[in-house]
Amino acid sequence: MRSDPDLAHSAAQGNEAAFAELVRRHQGKVRGMARRLAGSEAAGDDIAQVTFLTAWQKISTYAGGTFSSWICTICWREFLQWRRRQKMEIEFDETAEIIPFDRSADQHEMRMDLTRALETLSEAQRVCVVLCVATGLTHQEAADVTGWPLGTVKSHVQRGVAVLRTRLENANVA
Amino acid sequence: MLDQDACKDLSDLFRVEDNLLPAEPFTRQVMRGVRRQKMVRRCVVGGLGLAGAGIAATHLPALLAEWVGIDKTVTEALTRAPAELSTAAVNQLSSAAMNNPIWLAIAAGAALCFFAVSAFERT
Repeated sequence: MRSDPDLAHSAAQGNEAAFAELVRRHQGKVRGMARRLAGSEAAGDDIAQVTFLTAWQKISTYAGGTFSSWICTICWREFLQWRRRQKMEIEFDETAEIIPFDRSADQHEMRMDLTRALETLSEAQRVCVVLCVATGLTHQEAADVTGWPLGTVKSHVQRGVAVLRTRLENANVA
Repeated sequence: MLDQDACKDLSDLFRVEDNLLPAEPFTRQVMRGVRRQKMVRRCVVGGLGLAGAGIAATHLPALLAEWVGIDKTVTEALTRAPAELSTAAVNQLSSAAMNNPIWLAIAAGAALCFFAVSAFERT
């Protein structure tokens, strides 16, 4: 099996099949991250798609290292842009009803619990939990991605995980 | 890292959720976007190139019309230049030599050096 840097190198030379393989490998992680950050499946998938299109444009700037971390950095930036646009739209139409999380009825129970539990976290905690726990980045990588201090990331993860566990336990008891 | 290992159970829950997402439709959609992007870029670059070529082509007749005159002027200038340059150089040298004979000595020395160097270069 070809490594991520090897595929990225081929993709940088215009090899679409290599890039498609990279998308196939990392789509779950990126879509999961975008969905959890945006709080909506549709918006998350849109962000993930834009992330991969941006990655295709900038693939020649990938200078080795963890591909996950590189693609997550792009995803984070795309999420910030999306959120900025959302805020502008909200400011423009103040009467619009804001539904931060879209849920479909057929979602799995545990998935609902996880989603609900994530909703209860503060935004900073949610971002750090999504990056470090759900996406699997190290604390340092998450700090690099967000530009936040390492200590801040660590404390947000710690508190976020504690809240998440409490919510999940409560949900299981109920 | 230890802290992150402590969250392994939660990470596994998230991973299971992510692995359930169907990869193929999403990958196809992304690759369609990639191809579209490529085509748009090609069209923009090709279009700008063609426009540039068109603009250049419209200026060709005017350039060709001017060319005969330019050609004549350039040829005449090139033919006249060596003769004029050598005459001017000889005139300047002789006048310099007339005013101050040291210039003749300098020129002779320089010529001698030049001759010596070129003679050694040949061997």
